[in-house]
Amino acid sequence: MSLIQFEHVCKEYRQGTNVIHAADDVSFEIEKGEFVIILGPSGAGKSTVLNLLGGMDSVTHGAIYIDGEDITKYNENALTAYRRDAIGFVFQFYNLIPTLTALENVSLSKEVRRDALDPQATLAQVGLSEHINHFPSQLSGGEQQRVSIARAICKNPKLLLCDEPTGALDSETGILILALLQKMSREHRHTVVIVTHNSTLAPAADRVIKMRSGKIMSQLVNPAPVRIEDVRW
Amino acid sequence: MVMLRRKMLRDMKLNSTQFISIFLMALLGVLIYTGIQVNWVGMEREVNRYYEETDLADIWVISRYFTQDDVDRALALDHVVQAVRRLSIDGIADIPGRPTLRVHLLEEDRISRPYVVEGEIFDLSRKGVWLDASLGAAHNMKIGDTLAIEVAGTSFSLPILGLIHHPEFVHNVKDDTMMMPNPGDFGFAFVPKSAVENVGSFLYNQLLLTLNDQTDTDQMLEQIETLFPDRFILQLTRVTHPSVAVFQVEIEQQQAIGRIFPVVFFLIVVLSMFTTMIRMTVNQRSQIGILKAMGYSRGNILFHYISYGLWLGLMGGLLGLLAGPLIIPPILFNMQKAIYTLPNWYAVLSLPDFAAVFIVALCCGAASYLACRRELKEVPASALRPRPPKAGRHTRLEKSSLWRRLGFSTQWNIRDILRNNFRSLMAVAGVLGCTALLIFGLGLRDTLSRINQWMYEDLHLYESKIHLHHAVKEETLEALETIYKGQWILESPIQIRTLHRNETASIIILDKGEKIRFIDRQKKPIVLPGDGIGISYKMAALLNVSPGDAVEWRMFGKRDWHTSTIEMQYFAPIGQGIAMTKALYEQQTNSHFVPTALLSPSAAPDVEGNAAVSTVQRRSDLIQNLDALLENIEMIVIILILAAVLLGSVVLYNLGTLSFTERIRELATLKVLGFYPAQLEALLQKQNIWLTITGILLGLPAGYALLIFLLSTMPDSLDLPAIISVPSYGITILGTLALSMLINKILFGKIKDIDMVGSLKSIE
Ligand SMILES: Nc1ncnc2c1ncn2[C@@H]1O[C@H](COP(=O)(O)OP(=O)(O)OP(=O)(O)O)[C@@H](O)[C@H]1O
Ligand SMILES: [Mg+2]
Repeated sequence: MSLIQFEHVCKEYRQGTNVIHAADDVSFEIEKGEFVIILGPSGAGKSTVLNLLGGMDSVTHGAIYIDGEDITKYNENALTAYRRDAIGFVFQFYNLIPTLTALENVSLSKEVRRDALDPQATLAQVGLSEHINHFPSQLSGGEQQRVSIARAICKNPKLLLCDEPTGALDSETGILILALLQKMSREHRHTVVIVTHNSTLAPAADRVIKMRSGKIMSQLVNPAPVRIEDVRW
Repeated sequence: MVMLRRKMLRDMKLNSTQFISIFLMALLGVLIYTGIQVNWVGMEREVNRYYEETDLADIWVISRYFTQDDVDRALALDHVVQAVRRLSIDGIADIPGRPTLRVHLLEEDRISRPYVVEGEIFDLSRKGVWLDASLGAAHNMKIGDTLAIEVAGTSFSLPILGLIHHPEFVHNVKDDTMMMPNPGDFGFAFVPKSAVENVGSFLYNQLLLTLNDQTDTDQMLEQIETLFPDRFILQLTRVTHPSVAVFQVEIEQQQAIGRIFPVVFFLIVVLSMFTTMIRMTVNQRSQIGILKAMGYSRGNILFHYISYGLWLGLMGGLLGLLAGPLIIPPILFNMQKAIYTLPNWYAVLSLPDFAAVFIVALCCGAASYLACRRELKEVPASALRPRPPKAGRHTRLEKSSLWRRLGFSTQWNIRDILRNNFRSLMAVAGVLGCTALLIFGLGLRDTLSRINQWMYEDLHLYESKIHLHHAVKEETLEALETIYKGQWILESPIQIRTLHRNETASIIILDKGEKIRFIDRQKKPIVLPGDGIGISYKMAALLNVSPGDAVEWRMFGKRDWHTSTIEMQYFAPIGQGIAMTKALYEQQTNSHFVPTALLSPSAAPDVEGNAAVSTVQRRSDLIQNLDALLENIEMIVIILILAAVLLGSVVLYNLGTLSFTERIRELATLKVLGFYPAQLEALLQKQNIWLTITGILLGLPAGYALLIFLLSTMPDSLDLPAIISVPSYGITILGTLALSMLINKILFGKIKDIDMVGSLKSIE
């Protein structure tokens, strides 16, 4: 059985009289340890799908199975536990707590999850041992995003979900970040799902899901993914 | 949750001005509350201990004489535990100044025992006098000195064996028209009966009773009344005994003041905390989102934000609890020691003091909870998106033709206020509180500082008041009048009653002259009529009588009741009662007018060696006495003004920042449309001024009401109409307006630098 199964998932937003179908009958599967990229233009519903997968929002109808359990049936407490234990999030705008240092931001993970990894070691893993006591405002964008990745992987999650992790970075730094994520996936068999506009990244993924207007346009499995560094930009 | 605690501490540091103001206000609220609370609880405990230790009487029966048989008959009554008789009589101590000495001759000392401060314990078999320690100190009398006492036409000399306090003289004054004791002029002494056996025979004029606990005192009074059908008696209980009652009122007044001030401060704390936390959580919307995404539960995050308030309230409260009992009682005790005599003065911590800390912490926590609840309601996904702008509604107003004529900035501001009605309401509330505190503080000062002017410029026109000893001969009076001139006055405490009510008050009876004036509520002079009495407004209100009604009254220590008709009402800021002319007095009571004082136009009459004169009160001394009281008020006024400024700034700053974050897009759009920063500032200032003026208009009556309430807790003897001077109104209105505009200006200075066009994009 696959790690993740989306079955006819719909998400509607009601704004006054008109209804927006942010996710419209979305079905797909993801296997354990895969490095997945979700592609699509702005407004396609990528973030919506990622949020549903991460237990950040509730579906209008449909089912989402994680390891065979339907998380759409979860109540608030179970969803919180699910986010805490199974999910690591990385966002486009890093979303670090500005009043906490790099190390303290990562340590937040340790605070919610007992089996979290060592925060300091995780920061070393993303190459930030030098800056652990800096506040976010004292770090560059790329460094901040690496802290945010460290914060996510420190929880040792089943699923690492990244919403446009390179959206606010220049392309070189972006490549570094993505390469880091790919490495995590390869070395630690983390399942990583990345949302991006950038279709040139597709060759690097194990699986590519393309979306448009809330619908899945195509889904393909890549038998021989290349390294991020080798992708032609 | 170590990391969240660190976040909290750093957030507080980042917004230190606001959190420190809230902290200070929590501290001040608890400090004032516990300071006053420990003070009166201590006084109450000490005075009860004192009364118990000295077996203070429960009932005092006063008459011309009591026989041993009377004592036995009183003892035979149910519920009476002890009964003793004694003589209490005013004499003169033959020492320089010739102070009045209230001498008590004791047959027994089982009730109302003297409390020995220095010297021998009171012993009925010893031949000596136990003297009022305050009088002793004022006249430098020591144990072993011989004291000569003139009383009831005879005199005797006895050695001083002890210096004492007495539970019936906690408020140690000659009569209850006086507020401050004057140990140079008045004191008391206790003498065993056996010590003056050879001097002559005295009649015992007081019968003292103690009752067992479960007694209905009123019923007792009726029974005792029937015990003495043959003679006139006056009965006092612990409720009506002047010293006991005055001290009780003092305690109750502290209780009342100790309650309203903290409530005001707690309200400020809650309002400031609430707006600060709203601003905080709105600004930390995405931080809340990320914490949720990481798996922090709703409860975790809720507790995180509640703990801002809890910690702040707890710390401020604990510090207040520590500082209040250390700072306030010494100040109050100092003032009270000048008025009351107690063996010990100490503060006592009680449960409510700790409860106050707890309540402050809880209130702050609750304010934080209410503030962050809204941000926590959303699903985590939407918490990470910016809050959608509020949908613009078109009100009926906007369709009217008037609307189109209003001009853009007015339209924009009206729409903005209506759309953010909650925020606007909070801003009005903040300004309201600020104005109310200012007008209350300044009004309190105006009201109290007017007393001097009334008393010594409008009402009492003499330069000095020469008090006489009892029973001064007619020739002496004439001699005095030729030397000092002036107007004769008879003052005395009285009982006054109607069918339904009974009060103690004072009477002033005036010979011809114009040293005392009467004014009505409108401050217009009125004359004391010759065919009826005048009554002070407050006394009339207490008795529920009006001109045309009759009241009954009698002087303390006299037997007969007199009925007089009220012809006029007059205003008396201090000392309530009735007033009448000498002629009317002599006609109604059939007795001779014997003045107690001469109101003299001479500022410093030389009375040295004049045996008829007891003391002289000079106008300047009286004014100084009141001025000293005002100095203490000054401190309270400063605290109130500070609190007002803190409240106003914190609330307006919070709401200002908040509204800016919410309006940034709109402002950016206006900027893109070509508005200059100065125009934007004027736009925002306009709304700010509207809200501020609304707050001021509501705050003025609120502060006035607060002042009236405080004045209503004053003792019955004071009748102080609330007065707020024009400068006070000016300072309040202009000060509040200026504060509000200044804060808006500071805020705008901060937001001007933000790249508004950039902020337009980031929200997309
Ligand atoms: N909370 C919401 N309320 C209303 N509509 C929403 C909400 N969240 C998303 N939408 C709408 O749902 C659609 C899909 O949004 P989503 O954020 O998933 O797109 P996306 O593919 O992530 O786009 P982008 O690449 O710009 O981030 C959009 O039309 C968006 O306006
Ligand atoms: Mg998106």
